[in-house]
Amino acid sequence: MLSVKNLHARIGEKEILNGINLEVHAGEVHAIMGPNGSGKSTLASVLAGRSDYEVSEGSVEFFGKDLLDLSPEARAAEGLFLAFQYPVEIPGVSTTNFMKSAINEIRAYRGQDPMDAVQFLKMFKERMAYVNIDQSLLSRALNEGFSGGEKKRNEIFQMAVLEPKLAILDETDSGLDIDALRIVAEGVNKLKTPQNATILVTHYQRLLDYIIPDFVHVLYKGKIVKSGNKDLALELEERGYDWIISALD
Amino acid sequence: MLEKTLVDSIKAIHSLTEAQQLARGKFIEKGFPTSKWEEWKYASLKHLNEHNWHWSPESISVDFQKPIWNYSSIIQTLNGNTSSEGALPHGIALLTMSEFMVQNPEFNLIWKDRNPILDQNSLYDLNEALVADHAVLWVMKGVKIAEPFVHHYLVSGQQDTAVQSKLFVYLEEDSEITWFEQQRSESSHAILSNYVQEIWVSKNAHLTLIKDQDLQQSITHVDHTFIFQQESSLVDAFTFSINAAYLRNNLHFYIDGPQVVSNLYGLYIPGEDQLMDTHSVVDHRMPHSESNELYKGVLMGNATGVFNGKIFVRPDAQKTNAFQSCKNVLASDRATMNTKPQLEIWADDVKCSHGTTTGQLSDEALFYLRSRGISKATAQTLLLLAFVQQVIDKLDHVEIRAELSEKIVNKIQASLGLTLS
Repeated sequence: MLSVKNLHARIGEKEILNGINLEVHAGEVHAIMGPNGSGKSTLASVLAGRSDYEVSEGSVEFFGKDLLDLSPEARAAEGLFLAFQYPVEIPGVSTTNFMKSAINEIRAYRGQDPMDAVQFLKMFKERMAYVNIDQSLLSRALNEGFSGGEKKRNEIFQMAVLEPKLAILDETDSGLDIDALRIVAEGVNKLKTPQNATILVTHYQRLLDYIIPDFVHVLYKGKIVKSGNKDLALELEERGYDWIISALD
Repeated sequence: MLEKTLVDSIKAIHSLTEAQQLARGKFIEKGFPTSKWEEWKYASLKHLNEHNWHWSPESISVDFQKPIWNYSSIIQTLNGNTSSEGALPHGIALLTMSEFMVQNPEFNLIWKDRNPILDQNSLYDLNEALVADHAVLWVMKGVKIAEPFVHHYLVSGQQDTAVQSKLFVYLEEDSEITWFEQQRSESSHAILSNYVQEIWVSKNAHLTLIKDQDLQQSITHVDHTFIFQQESSLVDAFTFSINAAYLRNNLHFYIDGPQVVSNLYGLYIPGEDQLMDTHSVVDHRMPHSESNELYKGVLMGNATGVFNGKIFVRPDAQKTNAFQSCKNVLASDRATMNTKPQLEIWADDVKCSHGTTTGQLSDEALFYLRSRGISKATAQTLLLLAFVQQVIDKLDHVEIRAELSEKIVNKIQASLGLTLS
């Protein structure tokens, strides 16, 4: 579903992605790991359409469409989802209202009729159970005053509501205690189907104890320098990144 | 300086009283405010010299759509003529100022002594020159009416017309009303709508004043609202500035007694080719009183916004609490906002604070909303509505709040639609 070819991206004069190649198919879970500053979050942001980055070379196809040509909202409507590393606090807009607007704009994009209030409520209730999130949290202003765990759970709740074909989870494990991590991971696992795919961007191996990846890629200086299966993550946990880096430098 | 043709035309008006002639003289001498006048720096009215104003507006009658919610009475001011539609509740009277003064002779001196701040306000002079005897709404002692009074203010003209309107609202002791004023226009011609509203709020009286300003693009509207508050009175004043090419609000509060509470809430949302200017004055003349100002602005297209908030705390006004906040969002690169808080404090035992901010919508917040499938225009609208909600939420009246909310949403959506690329 996703085909990234020789992707280069920069912010200002600084080259951050240096030729990424990545193929993701339905049903797969990919983990992207790497030391700080290797370009992991940049890759996630470029795929979701953050405008701070300029793509200087390469291509990204999503179900055969040129992803880089689409606005962030069109990417979402095509089935892409980014769980933010730092979810934004938005005073005055409740999660409920926010999700209603999102669902109905996406439905309009796809030529579907808007969902009515009753359907919404039913679907919301169902999806809330995935991440054990409380109704009162959803009526409050979006992420405002939420704890780190609540913010991340809210991200996975939004993912459950939007049912993306490809979900990119950017450092979703950061700032979570072990219980919150487990709840979030269980939510992601429940949402997995043979038709969708997940990219986990993470610094640590511990999330991968709960969400088992099919592929693990190591990103360094804006390039994937090593790929393997879940055993690679365990090896990284044990030996760090140095053995890979020193072999390169 | 006033253009000679205008001087001639205004001098040709006969049968003015001596006081009116005096005011006319002052106006002719000063002319329309220009950007050289400090108080009109960003909101010059020099362009009014280019019109050949018709000084006597035609009489009009209009069938207004009545509110679908419960109201007390409808009062209308049509091109300066004020009347009530049907009977007024017991204890409320609509009469002329001269009649009112005959019935309240002791008030004459108090009124002459009220002393509003009229620096650089030549339009007040113009209003005084051309309005002979204006209407008074008299709310008698102890009369409390829960349902709002609806005031239809309308200006209209088949040619370029200068409309002067003036209304005095007198709340006697222990009275209470809600005044919902809908300011409208019906004209494709240029109209100078010059409106003076003075309100006397006696001891223990309570006024909720809501102004819904939604006029056409051909209108220059100047609103002078001067509120005089006596001991233990409470005023909640709302100003929703929604449409007009030029909208200026001179909103003054004179706090003439202890234990007074004055709340000023304002929202202005100018779009393409619109200018909205708020000049508020809160004059604490007596001790132990409190004023709160909450203003928000959304500026779209090439709009210009001005907020000048003056707070005076006179030497006698010890134990005053005065707060002022003015926050603005520039929703377009071409919009500008000018803010100037101005506090002058002569008393030493007071609590005063003020803060103004002007910024843009956060890119991070916009990207977050868009990444969930919400279009840029909808994301902007959602964020702007969230921003203005705080002011709207201060309104207690459910139906008026819903009506204004809808109007504000529509204006913001329409303006963003225009300015989006």
